Amino acid sequence: MGFVMDGLDADAYDREYSDRALLRRIITYFRPQARPMLLVAIAIFAGALTDTAVPILISRGIDLVVANPATQIMVLLVIAILVLSSVSWGLNFLRQWLSAVAIGNVTLQIREDAFNATMGHDLSFFDDQPTGKLVSRVSSDTDGFAETVSLTMNLISQVMLVVLMGCVLLVINWQLGLITIAMAPFVAAISLVFRRIARETSLHSRRIMAQVNAHIEESISGIAVAKVFRQEKAVHDDFVRINRQAYRVNFRQGIVLNTFFPVFNATAGIGTAIVVYFGGLNTASGAMSVGDWYLFIQALMFFWFPLTQIASFWSQFQNGLSASERVFGLIDAEPRVVQTGDAPADDLQGGFEFRDVRFSYQPTETVLPDFSLTIPPGESVALVGHTGSGKTSIVRLVARFYEFQEGQLLVDGRDIRAFNLPSYRRQIGIVPQSPFLFSGTVGENIRYGRPDAKEADVLRAVEHIAGGNWLADLPNGLDTDVGERGGRLSMGQRQLVALARVMLHDPAVFILDEATASVDPFTEIQIQDGVEAIMRDRTSIVIAHRLYTVQRADRILVLDSGRILEEGTHEMLLAAGGHYAELYDTYFRHQSLEYVESVIH
Amino acid sequence: MNNREFTPESEYTYDRSSVWRWLVSHAMRYPMHVVVGTLFRAGVVVAAVQVPKLMGDAFDAVAQANAEASVLLGFGLAILGISVLRGALQLLANYTAEIVALRMERDVRDELYVNLLGKSQTYHGQQRVGDIMARATNDVKQLNYMVNPGLLLLSEWLVNMVAPIAAIGIFLSVDLLPIPVLFLILFLIALRGYLRRLTPVAGALRAQFGALNATLTESIAGIEVVKSNAQEEQEHNRFRVKAEDYRDLFVKQGKIQALYLPLLMFSFCLALGLAHSLYLYTNGALTIGQVITFMGFLAMLRFPTFVSIFAFSLVKLGTAGAERILAILNAETEIDENRAGIEQRIEGEVVFDNVSFAYHGANTLKNISFQAKPGETIAIVGQTGSGKSTLTRLINRIYEVSDGRVLIDGVDVRVWSMESLRSQIATIDQDVFLFSRTLAENIAFGVRRPVNREEIEAVAKQAQAHDFIMSFKDGYDTVVGERGVTLSGGQRQRIAIARAFLADPRILVLDDSTSAIDSATEDQIQRALRNILHGRTTFLITHRLSQIRWADRILVLRGGELEDQGTHDELMARSPAYRNIFAHRDERYTAALPATLVGE
Repeated sequence: MGFVMDGLDADAYDREYSDRALLRRIITYFRPQARPMLLVAIAIFAGALTDTAVPILISRGIDLVVANPATQIMVLLVIAILVLSSVSWGLNFLRQWLSAVAIGNVTLQIREDAFNATMGHDLSFFDDQPTGKLVSRVSSDTDGFAETVSLTMNLISQVMLVVLMGCVLLVINWQLGLITIAMAPFVAAISLVFRRIARETSLHSRRIMAQVNAHIEESISGIAVAKVFRQEKAVHDDFVRINRQAYRVNFRQGIVLNTFFPVFNATAGIGTAIVVYFGGLNTASGAMSVGDWYLFIQALMFFWFPLTQIASFWSQFQNGLSASERVFGLIDAEPRVVQTGDAPADDLQGGFEFRDVRFSYQPTETVLPDFSLTIPPGESVALVGHTGSGKTSIVRLVARFYEFQEGQLLVDGRDIRAFNLPSYRRQIGIVPQSPFLFSGTVGENIRYGRPDAKEADVLRAVEHIAGGNWLADLPNGLDTDVGERGGRLSMGQRQLVALARVMLHDPAVFILDEATASVDPFTEIQIQDGVEAIMRDRTSIVIAHRLYTVQRADRILVLDSGRILEEGTHEMLLAAGGHYAELYDTYFRHQSLEYVESVIH
Repeated sequence: MNNREFTPESEYTYDRSSVWRWLVSHAMRYPMHVVVGTLFRAGVVVAAVQVPKLMGDAFDAVAQANAEASVLLGFGLAILGISVLRGALQLLANYTAEIVALRMERDVRDELYVNLLGKSQTYHGQQRVGDIMARATNDVKQLNYMVNPGLLLLSEWLVNMVAPIAAIGIFLSVDLLPIPVLFLILFLIALRGYLRRLTPVAGALRAQFGALNATLTESIAGIEVVKSNAQEEQEHNRFRVKAEDYRDLFVKQGKIQALYLPLLMFSFCLALGLAHSLYLYTNGALTIGQVITFMGFLAMLRFPTFVSIFAFSLVKLGTAGAERILAILNAETEIDENRAGIEQRIEGEVVFDNVSFAYHGANTLKNISFQAKPGETIAIVGQTGSGKSTLTRLINRIYEVSDGRVLIDGVDVRVWSMESLRSQIATIDQDVFLFSRTLAENIAFGVRRPVNREEIEAVAKQAQAHDFIMSFKDGYDTVVGERGVTLSGGQRQRIAIARAFLADPRILVLDDSTSAIDSATEDQIQRALRNILHGRTTFLITHRLSQIRWADRILVLRGGELEDQGTHDELMARSPAYRNIFAHRDERYTAALPATLVGE
């Protein structure tokens, strides 16, 4: 069956926790729920008492009536049972309801923790984590965690019942009681055997479900590609493979969990048979009353039922534990970007200094071997160079999306690690190549960085981006629905919205990964005007693909393999006739009027 | 049968006319399992009923004081044997149920997936991926739980509820029946009320889970924006609102379950049953053994009463999930793959005959008419949002025209078989989506036949992708991160170009597809692209004059309407809109370029 487990390895950040560590961790989530949990415990205990009392009452009643068939006794008996069971029902209501409250709150808490942990990771974490897998941990595995809560509460009540019923059995007839209780170790042994298998199979089951989730997320997000290339079949074949594997993995888990109760019921049957035999002998010899015998057999059922629940607890609990392990693994994964200080960055000037910085995404491929660069506050810098020259890495380090390995990165003369990260990032406005918009309206997306901004501020920001005429082209202006990932807007419109977002945000530093997709010249000019408006009065770092942009930059840096080859203004570099001139010829030149003219005529 | 864009090779059809019919048709895919499982389950019940019967007989034997050890031993052994038999039958019944449940889970997920692949792009544009994921994984899982243990418990509930009552009538006395029967009736009434209260909450709970998942998925997909705006807090709040709503529904569901009245009714039944039987005993109508047996039978009702809460809740959550899945399955999609349609080699004539298209009120096209002869290159220009991409998507029927016709080789695209149509049209988009597979697989994505490594390398070289691919440690076997995160925009586009080279389409759509290619590779790719254009009809969305020069004709779009069409020179001469597009550019560059360059 080895192939069933193919590709079910743990993720890089997964870790193994001892059961004890897991339990301790789980308990910390219960602590805030101490009050409802305490009430639940009381309700469980009182409920167990009343539940136990009812069969005792019935058996005593039978004995009494057999001895003295008086109506009065019967009436009292019935009333007593009715009162007791009403109380028992009320207690059960309290228990169920408060449990739901406690479980609901605990699940909410761990979901939020898992969510915050996910949001707190730096971008290197997301590079090799498919969205679907992460989603699976935050939404589904946390549900599995909740299972541990309900199972545990159930366990408490079942243990109480078993102890109570054990006492009752001993009181009625200690010999029979001992025989019955002697069965318990067998039950424990069986449950321990199941426990090991259950943990493993349920962990595998969760992993495969995360993969199914990831596959669906990816293929549905990219469905247009499958359509365009008419490759639905290939995508479907892939899915069928994963879905079948999921079936096989879940089958293993299902078999384990479904073997449990029948085995226990059979074991319980053995116990019942023994009690009927010995109990009958005792009753026949007059050592026991008929009522006692009845009571004993009834009590036996009350004893077995919770006992099987307790026994099955371990194997079912494993499912919750493996879910918890995955959730805690996510929460405990250590971010590589770690701040050493907490300095506010509200009055950031925007001066940067890279000192001998070495940076790589993976240990094998160094992107920036030894990078040094100083950007004074207010300067606009254009980065140009081939793909893989390190342009994107430089801005990612400035945005503190990734951690570098060696050297220093100073911001306003202080270590970048010394700042409070949210405060620092608030001072940085970024427009990526293909801007991501959240589902909602254009207005909401512009407000994204400043949710409390007034409508007038939003309109002013829009105004600053190319006079704001583009807003009128949208069907409902600011209220235009952008669709998931901004899919209902064109590329150019998404760019403009992203620029307005930064304009409203008004950061000290502006980072632009210039869109390489060429939009129509008219929109292009709107975008360039917008970019220019933002670049004014702040430090700007632009990964440039536009002749217009490089011409406007205070300084152009020509990069290759993570090194600065040349720097200077457009005119200087062109005149120097070096790498930039070469780049210009092959890349920027065709954007120039001269080239355009030469093509036309 | 609904419209759809994709049909797998083999397919099992299910009845989707109602939730229950659909579920039954799924279960009946495995009739043997269902029948055998039911038989096993019936065996379990028969065996289970024997135990209290045997115990009652044992009581009577003892009460009549003829209980010798051998008789009791007989009872003991019988109980033992039946318990073991019952365990074995239960084991088999559980296994069959689990197999049906798991297969159903697998089948439903597959059915849903196939259905989603068959839905149009318009449909997908309106869905939230996170919600679809929730349906395909969690709601489908809920179906599994509904079958096992849900329906299993339900069948157990039914039998365990009826069997003891029937046993009372058969083995004991009809006189004892009124109280348990009354209990059963009240139970059913209470159950109805319970289900009525639970149904809306269960539906809302599943829907809320979908909403939670959708928010979560979006936050993770947009993590870079979240971080660069330092809006983790806002995302957290957004998520918390959804998670809190989910919690509230969960608690509401818990409260409805806690208020389950049949549990109370059972105790009343027990008390009144005791009074009734004792009354009959004092009248001499019953022996004490019969009283004990009767109470034993009544006690057996505890389990089904208790179990019914879970059984019905699981079934409710399952049907709520099933409804959400069926909502997708039964959602109409406007485009059909038309399997019986025309299948032939495309020559490449494309005609738009008064085409209009509406989509969410945006990106609309109005009354577009033009003609492209086989092998022609048509450039499309226009402002952002003027409908350029939308227009090209009508050719391969990613979108369906609202009005008018799109003809390829004189045949309406709706008459073509989609398989034939789409496999001969390739598109290279601005935003290239790569799958988490190897680079080689991504390049080979567009072709159905097996492709060897040499072919892939050849097209990668043509697309100028070979060198950067070889710079990766694993070369062509490098697995791409989700949404191609480990590749730059330019690299992704070159992969897409290689993909198109390999697919060798009859009609090619280039949606600004060389724009992300930076630096020195540009010219080479331009040349490669010129080669690929040769001999096929090409639609080129671009504003680069260097590329526009390749075009035989240019379409000028404005606000969804075809403003003008013609060659560059014609349009420069007569179209103000066209001139306008390029005029701005001229001004800007005249102003910006250093005098030395302009002069040359």
